[in-house]
Amino acid sequence: MASLILRNVSKSFGNTKVINSVNLAIEHGEFVVFVGPSGCGKSTLLRLITGLESVSEGQIIIADKEVTHLKPSRREVAMVFQSYALFPHLTVAENIGFGLKLSKVPKDEIETRVQEVAKVLRIDDLLARKPRQLSGGQRQRVAIGRSIIRDPKVFLFDEPLSNLDAALRVVMRIEINRLHQRIGATMIYVTHDQTEAMTLADRIVVLNEGKVEQVGTPLDLYEKPANKFVAGFIGSPAMNFINGVVRSVEGKPAVSMGPLKIGVKNSTLQAGTCLEVGIRPEHIEILSPSQSHLTAKVDIIEKLGAESLFHLQTEVSDSLLTVRADPIISAGVGDIVGLNFPEHHLHFFDRNGKIV
Amino acid sequence: MADRLVFIQTPREFNPWPVVIFIALLVLATLFLAPTIGVLLSSIKTTKEISEGGLWNFPTHLFLGNFAEVLGNPAVHRYFLNTLLVTAPATIASIALGVLGGYVFSKLPFWGSNLLFLVIISGMFFPPQVILIPLFQFFNYLGLIDTLWPIIFIHTALGIPICTLLMRNFFATVPNTLREAAILEGANEFQILTRVALPLSLPALAVLATLQFTWIWNDFLWPLIFTQSDEKRTIMVGIVNLKGQYSVAWGVQGALSLIASLPTLVVFLFFQRYFIKGMTMGAVKG
Repeated sequence: MASLILRNVSKSFGNTKVINSVNLAIEHGEFVVFVGPSGCGKSTLLRLITGLESVSEGQIIIADKEVTHLKPSRREVAMVFQSYALFPHLTVAENIGFGLKLSKVPKDEIETRVQEVAKVLRIDDLLARKPRQLSGGQRQRVAIGRSIIRDPKVFLFDEPLSNLDAALRVVMRIEINRLHQRIGATMIYVTHDQTEAMTLADRIVVLNEGKVEQVGTPLDLYEKPANKFVAGFIGSPAMNFINGVVRSVEGKPAVSMGPLKIGVKNSTLQAGTCLEVGIRPEHIEILSPSQSHLTAKVDIIEKLGAESLFHLQTEVSDSLLTVRADPIISAGVGDIVGLNFPEHHLHFFDRNGKIV
Repeated sequence: MADRLVFIQTPREFNPWPVVIFIALLVLATLFLAPTIGVLLSSIKTTKEISEGGLWNFPTHLFLGNFAEVLGNPAVHRYFLNTLLVTAPATIASIALGVLGGYVFSKLPFWGSNLLFLVIISGMFFPPQVILIPLFQFFNYLGLIDTLWPIIFIHTALGIPICTLLMRNFFATVPNTLREAAILEGANEFQILTRVALPLSLPALAVLATLQFTWIWNDFLWPLIFTQSDEKRTIMVGIVNLKGQYSVAWGVQGALSLIASLPTLVVFLFFQRYFIKGMTMGAVKG
């Protein structure tokens, strides 16, 4: 049973189309992450689902019920805001029980349920405090508490961790993951941080300029990006892109990039086609110059401890190539190294950015 | 022998400005306080003393007869009651309308709402003299002359611009995400207003309560125009009424003036901690 279906959903502000015919089905209990650069429409899409913005075209179906024109409170969704949006004049307990009080749930029941939720989130000793007396992580938990107490059909998170410092973000990421496993609810999570997306998601929806670029599991997107945008967006550091042309070498297709020619098995490639070749920094091998057809000059080295990032000048590309390498490689700035691009790790994109 | 630390004092230049400012403030404070002191002095003197020695002489002994006379006068009780009957409803009504208007203008804008807001605000710049005669004719037509109703209505209406302005600016500082969070929790606009926006706007309410209460309580013009019988007079008009036909009862008037200004003082003291905060919050964040 699909928990949430978006059917040709579009949204325009004036003449600007910010969401362009989005189709998406999210299964019950799934954790789906919307990811994309700033202004790609991911937050707007979330607001359309909540009903805080009305759709211009299309349908939204939540738990087999069409909710396109229902009020936000009738949609059985809960949202955790980036700014937490806790009511500053109410205590933690009153914040969590706010919705129940509005729907006139008896006082005793509110109290019991607030206690239960607070225990799950380990904030039961903070119930009498005001939001300003809490740390960022605690506020975040209160905001989550307020959303789970009403047992909604779909949870929406709008960049919930972006106000936290790096260490706390990792902790809260794990907590959200654990919460999802524990309550098994459908969750939609918006972020521009691809680490969050990769670690939390069952499926990732990559958005760009109001359109869905690709939907898939994190590994799908990493290994089989549908286009250049997804390839460049998923993975850190980003994929290297090199201009290439398909040539026929001894009757077999090969991609030539400057002086380098790599025979490819992909038989759909027509000789003479221009394309872009993508290869991830972790898939380029550094060899000694004598072992390789392609040499490069080391421009910058970023030593991260567990790995080193080499930024290299090559003949195949005007921009620097990034290579993620073992820290034991001893090449220094200015040294010449050899490179190898394993054929099975190459991605080919046509002029429109589509995968070939 | 360098066993003693020597502090070398750099000669500091004398800055005359703090002294100049202090003196200027002192002079201003004295000027502002002088009338109050004059009233205070006259209220504790007998009429004889005043006519002999003038307003500014210190009394030979503390005379509380003026206060006793004022407090025992049934007409004064009536003035107080009338003033309260005007001030309380007009203050509450103007703030309530300002809250509703301000909320809509800040959180629920509609086509043309900015223009409408400007129109309402422009009401602040009407001199009362311009609308005085039409209003008198209007209330005369309604048969409400010599009742408290015209004063209540006029003060409510005249309070709407400032109340709307202040509340709009204050509500604008309440983050929109709070409203959205409340909507998702199932609140309607009225519940958002009463349970989220208003509790966060107590400073603004305190400022308005103080301003409106003081303004309406101290008003002289409208009660003078719309009331005729002594039964309907408010306190400020009542002070003038206390004079005799051929003489001015300075001492009694002074005593009543002091007593009449007590309620506004109490209201200000009650709200003042919000007042200062509210003044700055509304101004800076709006």
